[in-house]
Amino acid sequence: MIHRLFTGAAIVAAMVAAPALAEQVNGRHAQNFALTDMHGKTVHLSDYLGKVVVLEWNNPGCPFVQKHYRSGNMQKTQATARESGVVWLTVNSGAPGKQGHMNGAEAQQFVSSQKATPTHYLLDPKGVVGHAYAAKTTPHMYIVDSDGTLVYQGGIDDKPTADPADIAGARNHVLAALKEIRAGQPVSVAETRPYGCSVKYAN
Amino acid sequence: MRHLRFVLMTVMAALLSALALPAAAQTLGNSDHIAIRLVPETDSPAPGGTVTLAFVSTPEKGWHGYWQNPGDAGVKTTADWTLPAGVKAGPLRYPIPQRLMLAGIMNYVFEGPFTQFADLTIPADAKAGTRLPIRVKLDYLVCTHEICVPETKTLTTALTVGDGGISPQIRAQFDQWRQALPRPLGSAAHYAVAGKSLRIAIPFPQSMKVDPANAYFFPVTDGAISYADPQKLVRDGDTLIVETGAGSDPKGTIQGVLKLGSDTGFLVSATPGAVPVPSTATTQSGWLWSSALAAFFGAVLGGLILNIMPCVFPILSLKALSLARSGETEHAARAEALAYTAGVVLVCVALGGILLALRAAGATAGWAFQLQDPRVILFLLLLVTGIALNLAGLFELSAPGVVNKAAARGTGGAFATGALAAFIATPCTGPFMGVALGAALVLPWPLALAIFAGLGLGLALPFLAIGFIPALRARLPKPGSWMETFRHILSVPMFLTALALAWVLGRQAGVNGMTLGLAAALLAAFGLWWTGRRQSRGKSAAWLPAALAVLIALGGIALVERAPAQAETAAMPLDAQPFTEARLQELRASGRPVFAYFTADWCLTCKVNEKTAIDTSEVARAFKQNNVAVLVGDWTDGDPTLGRFIEAHNRAGVPLYLWYAPGADSPRILPQILTPAMLAALPERHGAGT
Repeated sequence: MIHRLFTGAAIVAAMVAAPALAEQVNGRHAQNFALTDMHGKTVHLSDYLGKVVVLEWNNPGCPFVQKHYRSGNMQKTQATARESGVVWLTVNSGAPGKQGHMNGAEAQQFVSSQKATPTHYLLDPKGVVGHAYAAKTTPHMYIVDSDGTLVYQGGIDDKPTADPADIAGARNHVLAALKEIRAGQPVSVAETRPYGCSVKYAN
Repeated sequence: MRHLRFVLMTVMAALLSALALPAAAQTLGNSDHIAIRLVPETDSPAPGGTVTLAFVSTPEKGWHGYWQNPGDAGVKTTADWTLPAGVKAGPLRYPIPQRLMLAGIMNYVFEGPFTQFADLTIPADAKAGTRLPIRVKLDYLVCTHEICVPETKTLTTALTVGDGGISPQIRAQFDQWRQALPRPLGSAAHYAVAGKSLRIAIPFPQSMKVDPANAYFFPVTDGAISYADPQKLVRDGDTLIVETGAGSDPKGTIQGVLKLGSDTGFLVSATPGAVPVPSTATTQSGWLWSSALAAFFGAVLGGLILNIMPCVFPILSLKALSLARSGETEHAARAEALAYTAGVVLVCVALGGILLALRAAGATAGWAFQLQDPRVILFLLLLVTGIALNLAGLFELSAPGVVNKAAARGTGGAFATGALAAFIATPCTGPFMGVALGAALVLPWPLALAIFAGLGLGLALPFLAIGFIPALRARLPKPGSWMETFRHILSVPMFLTALALAWVLGRQAGVNGMTLGLAAALLAAFGLWWTGRRQSRGKSAAWLPAALAVLIALGGIALVERAPAQAETAAMPLDAQPFTEARLQELRASGRPVFAYFTADWCLTCKVNEKTAIDTSEVARAFKQNNVAVLVGDWTDGDPTLGRFIEAHNRAGVPLYLWYAPGADSPRILPQILTPAMLAALPERHGAGT
């Protein structure tokens, strides 16, 4: 346990030293991180080596996030992914005092009220992981393959609007990529333009 | 009961979710953080014509709307039109945006009032008096620095098919709004990707002032550049080079807006191609170092070659021979070699440093910049003549003075010799060193100075070798009386250098300047000869006449002036009048052929055409013989009246060249690349007076 904490601290320290918005590259090893989830548990990305991991940047106050939560689209995507054994990590990089920032209790309330089913809801109030992944918008989605390789980054779908009516006709990039990964195929659309509000990092 | 419980639970759930979601974001369509007015340029568009609609938008204080490329976050505006049959709507056109960087995330926005445009095309078969109801649903995002709200607005207006008339008030209002639109640059740009950096070369006349700190390239094309990366603007002659981080996928044509001031921006279209100079790049990718290293070794090699140039060789060979003189200890030889090297390198670095400082201050100086000043040339002419006369044996250097030290022994003398050699070598550097020094000018300054130092090192290398390798020194011929003859022979290349300098002086300052320079040289020579005579008689203060003569000769420096450059080319500006439509009609009515051209100071293609084709004697003669009137429209400030005239000829901007043959209904639109022959043939083809 001590050892693990130490590793986590070292990782965080290393990421603090890294430049802002360092960006992760598709096809390369996705950078490991350690964050506290809404129940106070420390979660490492490396805990899930061997499984496919979806990262979702979240800000409950952002209308583009609301488009996908109020319509149930995000929850449906989460459920579909988790049914096939995929790990879903929702990350909130909102800084204290900014829109969408939540503490553990608020996050628990958000998850239960929205009937969301992420594996973990992770709190990143300092934006360390957000910057390491160059997360720019909410939502901003990433998929890490079971061998730790980043295979997708971008938007949740191809309709960059806030109108829930657009979900029906959109291509859900995350579900499409997960399907291809399951079939052992390369991800055909591996990088798209994320859309939404900017991540509310600390200034 | 069961039903009631269900209702209660639903209400509870709704309340809970309302609590969980912060209230900052309101539901779609309810908020109004940007007020938008839809204004048509005319209420009565003509059949087959177009009508411009303006979306006059005013964000609430603290709120901003988004540009067509919103940047790292945000979304662009979408317009959903409901139009009568046959009426077509064009894409939204955006004014020049602003940058908004929030916590490392770049947004391209409008923080104050802005006006977007869309053109409607009216079908040609529309009947006059037909009512055209126009309806458009705008979906857009509006944000503060903290929160974002998507808004939807449905705007309507009604047009009636008519004559297309535009009222002067509306026209003036539209002209004002249109001033904020970027203008097409009219010259093709190129870009190159190297590692993680991307450079765009944009043709832009050197004569136009640009404040690099306020310039920014807004990419329309997504994935071309990394939005949050800093941009660096460098100028290289008639090219502006924007350097920034490459985006995820730069390919194909990159469109964008080059913003040069709050209301000045140009539409740029860049295709993959060569970007002229190696760059300072924002990233320290390997190619930068390798090219800097290559430039450094190129500079060393160039410096080495300089040693056999007529301006340097005599100085060096004498110095080398003096080292070879018997009695030199190993230690003294090394010390002299090092001092000489220090002198050379220091002067090279100092010249390079001054050059970089001048360029940083905005001057368009190049290597050997000091040679662009005829006064420096005259000084060098006197110096070189003096050295040549000394080599020829006219006088001896035995008294104190800088030139004297040049041949003196000891480290101080060696240092002065090195400095002198480097300074005199600059006229010879140009042709050999152009490439390496050109590279140096765009590298970060420490690297650039290293390249100048490399040049000095190369120049000093033979002397270093002689100083540090005794075997080499042993191979040098033993001093003897032959050295005197050798010295006299060496005066020949030195005189040749003086001749070349006189020629340069003549080019720069004209015949008068050259004559003045030669007279100054003669005067100095006379003074030196007199001194030589006094020396040979062993008189004291032998230096007096030379010092006096040289002082007077140097006074000539104050008199030379750069000759006006009028005779340099066969340029002959046409007798052009400012363009107005009224003047054009007048001239055409009088039956004269008219050549009308539209130009702008920022349009490189225009300037090239003017220099190489329009303002040539061939064209002037042909136009004069045929009584061709020339009208010139200057669109530098984006004059809207001119803009409309240009657009009426199916061009978005300058250059535009029109030829109105006498009696013709419509002008001939000439190609964008002109030749003098093409222009001169214009009147002949139609015949004068026919």
